[in-house]
Amino acid sequence: MAMYLIWLRVALVLYGASSVAVIPDVLSGQVRWRKLVFPACVSAVFFNFVALMEMLNLANHWVPASLREVETSLALLLALAFLIIYWRYRAISLGLFVLPIVFLLLLLPAARPDHAPLSSQWMHNGWILLHIVLLLAAYTALILSLLASLLYLIQERRLKQKQVGGVFGHLPPLETMDQIAFKTLVIGFPCMTAGLLAGAWIAQETVGAGYFLDPKVLLSVGMWLLYLWMLYVRRHSGLRGKRAVYLSSLVFLVALTVWVANQFSAVHRFAAP
Amino acid sequence: MNFVLIGVNHKSAPLAVRERLAISPARLQEATQSLLGVPCVREGMVLSTCNRVEFLTYQEPVQADLLEFIQNYFAVDMTALRPYLYEYRASEAIRHLFRVAASLDSLVVGEPQILGQVKESYTVARSVGAVNSNLEPLLQRSFTVARKVRNQTSIGVSAVSIASVAVDLARKIFGSLQGKTVLLVGAGKMGELAARSLAQQGASTIYLCNRTDERAEALAQKFSGQLAGNGPSLAQPVPYASLHEYAAMADIIVTSTGAETPIFNSTHAHAYAARRKQRPMFFIDIAVPRDVDPEINRVEGIFVYNIDDLQAVAVSNMANRAKEALDAEAIIRAEVHRYTERMQTLDAVPSIVALQQNLEEVRQNELRRVAPRLAGLSSEQLQAVEQVTRALVNKLQHAPIQAIKRAAREGDRETLAVIQTVLDMGSGPGLSENATAQPAQPGPVAQTSGATETTASIPFAPVKVDCPQ
Repeated sequence: MAMYLIWLRVALVLYGASSVAVIPDVLSGQVRWRKLVFPACVSAVFFNFVALMEMLNLANHWVPASLREVETSLALLLALAFLIIYWRYRAISLGLFVLPIVFLLLLLPAARPDHAPLSSQWMHNGWILLHIVLLLAAYTALILSLLASLLYLIQERRLKQKQVGGVFGHLPPLETMDQIAFKTLVIGFPCMTAGLLAGAWIAQETVGAGYFLDPKVLLSVGMWLLYLWMLYVRRHSGLRGKRAVYLSSLVFLVALTVWVANQFSAVHRFAAP
Repeated sequence: MNFVLIGVNHKSAPLAVRERLAISPARLQEATQSLLGVPCVREGMVLSTCNRVEFLTYQEPVQADLLEFIQNYFAVDMTALRPYLYEYRASEAIRHLFRVAASLDSLVVGEPQILGQVKESYTVARSVGAVNSNLEPLLQRSFTVARKVRNQTSIGVSAVSIASVAVDLARKIFGSLQGKTVLLVGAGKMGELAARSLAQQGASTIYLCNRTDERAEALAQKFSGQLAGNGPSLAQPVPYASLHEYAAMADIIVTSTGAETPIFNSTHAHAYAARRKQRPMFFIDIAVPRDVDPEINRVEGIFVYNIDDLQAVAVSNMANRAKEALDAEAIIRAEVHRYTERMQTLDAVPSIVALQQNLEEVRQNELRRVAPRLAGLSSEQLQAVEQVTRALVNKLQHAPIQAIKRAAREGDRETLAVIQTVLDMGSGPGLSENATAQPAQPGPVAQTSGATETTASIPFAPVKVDCPQ
């Protein structure tokens, strides 16, 4: 068995422990569980990173292109972003959603290795690496922004209904959630823009001007415009609460569609013909 | 464990009685010294707060007459006072002290001030030499237990007064209140209190609005008085005519006017929300009849809490504290058990020392007796004899020492007495007045602890004995 599988499984167990320990902390304010959440999460991030590096090294490329590699990378980015947000805002509540998502993302890669490793000249191209990493960072930002907006909505409803204690009684303040939701969007936008530009440049070099009519490319442009519009609306009309969740969900759905659109794309192919 | 605690508190005595016994901070030192002057009281501490007056003592060799002390010190009629007094001894005194320090015995369970008050009393008692080897570890443990209760339960987390509930809610909306703007409408006492609490938590600007400009100005002056301390950086009276203009700028509006109809309605709220780009806004409506139309709560980003809502939160938080108090009681139980067990093990030290000295004396005597016959041995051989006899004694004393420790831990006085009789320790040097090794808890178990190991609320029947001073 490849070593990276062992590290991935260790990371999986640690993420699992973190996901379970975060529940009593967030839902009933039992802060002592935090002593498990963070050491477990930080260790998991370390093993996740080691596993990813070994996985890519074994595949003889540095571009996370296969489904398992992408999932491992996205899990790592999400967990890292969660730790950074906690360090900055002490908002552990995000972990209630982020940590299980990370756990689920790692399930498939930790189960078994890729049977048909990808081989293509592009696997060693720096632009592709930039394209994928930046877009994964943008997806991470989108996911976190959506989760923060959801928590905002939960907290807002609770305060409106005068429910102060009980389950979810320890959610972060509304303004904190709003800041996280907005700042992650702001950080994600340049990542998405630069990632798409890198992809466009590669497509221009390989396919020529025709790449623009590819369904995945068209959807990507649509996603970028929607993202831009969402940022504009949030900044200028102070969109919060329910409508912010709807808008973030819409952008996230489009982003998922863009991902799925690989199946219909002639441009977005990594495997050698 | 000759700990005795006697006193009155808000549960046992009405205010009139507590007033009669109250000791001001200035008199605390003198009161502690007087307590220390009671025959048989070796160590003592006086705790006097608005809800309790208690005397914690360590007594030796027999029980002191604290009732007489109270009667003389306060010049009160003991017949009238006696029904209000409670007395705890040994482990029950420890338990009571732990409960007091952890704020489980407070009027508002979980309030944090009591620990500070116990610490102040401790400092005073220590300064007059009334806290030594017996009360020192007990009081230090009580502070640790209080911290443990606070850290491991949420007993002190939720707010239980209207002003603190308002501050808590504001924090749930805004996080930090640093730099927030508060508009206080009306001049009600409770509204002023809430605004003051918000200012103390960091709100930087307070606008004061009243139908009478003079009252707004007077209030502004009051708030301005805090500027140098822990108050707002700006306290400004605003004309009532500009109320809605300033309301749109305020993050938190505290209102307590005598208006017959709401002064804030949904139309105003929508205008504020648009002007503030949906930034959250918090109305604290303490007025009756209400100043804020409840429909405003439906406007996105605006939260309205009236006096009933605030009270409901306070009551719910009280209930939560009561639940947390159950967990805290479990912690206290475990801690009292641990402390009592430790003290009982310490009580066994004299017996163990006596046993060790007895056996060592036997060994030395035997070695001296056979010394002439060992004269021909080399120094290595003599060393071997020394080692063998020492090892033999160690092995022989191991089982009895374990038995003594176990019996002491379990408070099994009968077994301890049997062990002592079997080993003939009563006549050994360890039990004599001239014993060389002095334990931390002086006095053999059968004499000291056995006499005082009875638990709570023993009727007042102090044994009159002349105590050496």
